[in-house]
Amino acid sequence: MYGGDEVSAIVVDLGSHTCKAGYAGEDAPKAVFPSVVGAVDGIESMDVDVDSTKTISSDDSKTNAVESEKEKGKRKLYVGSQALSYRRDHMEMLSPIKDGIVSDWDLVDNIWDHAFRSCLMIDPKEHPMLLAEPPMNTQQQREKAAELMFEKYKVPALFMAKNPVLTSFATGRATSLVVDCGGGSTTIAPVHDGYVLQKAVISAPIGGEFLTDCLLKSLESKGIKIRPRYSFKRKEVRAGEFQVEDVNLPDTTESYKLFCQRMIVGDIKDSICRVPDTPYDDKSYSNIPTTSYELPDGQMLEIGADRFKVPDVMFNPSIVQTIPGMEKYSDMIPSVRGLPHMVMESINKCDVDIRRELYSSILLAGGTSSMQQLKERLEKDLIEESPHSARVKVLASGNTTERRFSVWIGGSILASLGSFQQMWFSKSE
Amino acid sequence: MGGTDAKDILGLPKTPLSLTQEKKSRPQKESHRKPDGISREVYALTGGVAPLMPSIDVTQLKRRPLADEKVAWKWLPFTNSARKDDLQLYHWSVDILKYTDEEYENHLTDPVWTKEETDQLFELCDRFDLRFTVIADRFPLSRTVEELKDRYYSVSRALLRARAQSPADVANHPLMKEPYDITRDRERKRALTMVLSQSRHQEKKDAEILAEAKRITEMRLAARRAEEPDVSANENVGLDRADGVGIGRSVSPSSNSQLPATAVAPSTLTMADYASTLASLRMLHVYLRTYGLEQMVQAASSAVGLRTIKRVEQTLQDLGVNLKPKVPTKTVCDEHLELRKEILTLLNLQKQLQYKESEGSSHREGSYAAMPDTPKDRVFATDPFSFGAERQIKKEPKRKGPGRQADSPLPAHKRPRKMKASDL
Repeated sequence: MYGGDEVSAIVVDLGSHTCKAGYAGEDAPKAVFPSVVGAVDGIESMDVDVDSTKTISSDDSKTNAVESEKEKGKRKLYVGSQALSYRRDHMEMLSPIKDGIVSDWDLVDNIWDHAFRSCLMIDPKEHPMLLAEPPMNTQQQREKAAELMFEKYKVPALFMAKNPVLTSFATGRATSLVVDCGGGSTTIAPVHDGYVLQKAVISAPIGGEFLTDCLLKSLESKGIKIRPRYSFKRKEVRAGEFQVEDVNLPDTTESYKLFCQRMIVGDIKDSICRVPDTPYDDKSYSNIPTTSYELPDGQMLEIGADRFKVPDVMFNPSIVQTIPGMEKYSDMIPSVRGLPHMVMESINKCDVDIRRELYSSILLAGGTSSMQQLKERLEKDLIEESPHSARVKVLASGNTTERRFSVWIGGSILASLGSFQQMWFSKSE
Repeated sequence: MGGTDAKDILGLPKTPLSLTQEKKSRPQKESHRKPDGISREVYALTGGVAPLMPSIDVTQLKRRPLADEKVAWKWLPFTNSARKDDLQLYHWSVDILKYTDEEYENHLTDPVWTKEETDQLFELCDRFDLRFTVIADRFPLSRTVEELKDRYYSVSRALLRARAQSPADVANHPLMKEPYDITRDRERKRALTMVLSQSRHQEKKDAEILAEAKRITEMRLAARRAEEPDVSANENVGLDRADGVGIGRSVSPSSNSQLPATAVAPSTLTMADYASTLASLRMLHVYLRTYGLEQMVQAASSAVGLRTIKRVEQTLQDLGVNLKPKVPTKTVCDEHLELRKEILTLLNLQKQLQYKESEGSSHREGSYAAMPDTPKDRVFATDPFSFGAERQIKKEPKRKGPGRQADSPLPAHKRPRKMKASDL
């Protein structure tokens, strides 16, 4: 920390899964919440909140979310993890990010607003803003973002940085290959001397959410029903014993249900799943001892082979076809290759002279990268496939929160550098 | 730009503007030197008094955001002054030559490159400080890094030449002194690609195969040496030929083709084999010649008894030749081996001579064996006619090879052999 060296810039990283925002100079973002917005189309501005679930704990949200209500026509939007934890009738979950880039600026607007006003409680007019953008961002998108920032929020200064570059800075390197395993997609981008080599950026739609979906479908196909938190009530029948009662809430939308289910399954994935050391095949893993996990409704889940099968999708996407219920992805899968292959493809698209350097500094970033054994498996696969003369080194910070927020942390570092101050661009420019 | 150089030489700090090693360093470095220098020293003197700075900074910084927070900007020069030293060290600013349109028309047109492309290239060079990998990435048309470099350097050279008053002026410019050779660069990159494109699997396999091959050739070599030291003459010829032809797989076929001309019937195949194995051994890896020599010596002398070896060595010493050549070059080693073989042959012949003489004397009474004749012939033949004897001796598989005086001059060795070859 700088101890008085207050730069007061704000760093915002809007990812496909979570949005992270906070002050520059700090080592973790203050505001972390899902980048989905709940939208209720309706004339009434009252939230018809049945509030049936007493077992809701406030998820580890770092926000004191007040529902930011915006009237857009007749639509009300709710942002923030606490707001979204309340079940509302007819609330559709919408995500502003598709395929890594912004598709709906209105939602983005709301998200930013929520971040600034409710979470960080700042007035954007006073702070220069650093935005993290995906490497494939188009000029048009950039302009729109700048327009939004300047016109609406009236920020004094703005800077837009690419995600891989920020990750690179977070680890102190000017040249590296950044493997960003995020929620919505996995992007592999080489950074050379601080510049992203755009022609060599490879992206795959397999991300954390995809894995969560795989796990969800797999569990469902085994007959396990994941009950979202709002949909049941636990009644105390006798002392210490609970009985679960389903509460029927017909007006809940499918997307919300899915959202809640995903939250639960995501937790399962985070806590239990591990990347197998060798490529997965059904036979060898059929006798694996199961781990148990308790669902919020009291059910105990025994997860055995899925523990390893799901993470292996990243390395071997064709496994997806063996998971029932994931058929809709099966046409997309043949074009997607596993993680080590994507890394090699990206490196081979670069100029020969820098390949060695890239091989020896491969950085892991993103939420999904904190899956256990991912780093080891990736390193092993790469060493096998890569040429002998190249030393393969995969780096990942030991701290999993650091991996999740590495883009944000890079932005924090960058924005607080003294020499960076002249790189902002102001409204006049 | 002269100001930059002067500042460089004097070691004065540059502006905070210029020195970001991170992305997007703006090229407008040449502004605002003096005030910053002064202010830094003043700043240091006063120990970081704030109020002076923002006012100066406002004039200096081009991209000053409209923040009202003096707090942020107060620290700017301070941290920069700390960083200035660092950044000075590894920031090289690039002077990119700019050309006018007419200069382009006159000197710089190129069939492959259009003017727009060249313009774009130069703009990118400027923006990215000649980081060609990044430039190649951002260039709208896909061109390889080598092509871009080639175009940039050739344009710059042409410009320099065009603008120079006299050729002498520009001769010292680094651009002129070392021209960018695109073909060499391409070759280098191709080679590097090949090195880097072998996966570990393949390399393991390759290494295994090579080791296998080496083992086989060494086995063969040992076998050859042990079996037929009497074809040493031919072998030597073959060796010489092989040497002459040079290294490469062409050695085997060429030596094969030449050898039949020289080789005697029984030894053709073995000769070819031997030469080829030797050649391939040579090709496989670099090996210590002394080691190879030792091996060959051992192989050659493995058929004979220890006593004989001792006698060979004794003879060598008598002749004043080192047991191990001092300077183990190829020719020396070969000669040494030849010498050894010849000594061996000599000793063998001498032994046989003695044997035959004793036989002859014991058979003088009565036996009609044809044997005594031939030894006698041989005995007589050996000394005056070393040539003819070879042929006869050659035909006998047991014979160890041409009898030769060990101390005849070496060129003489070669000449007779060659004559013999043509005889055959």
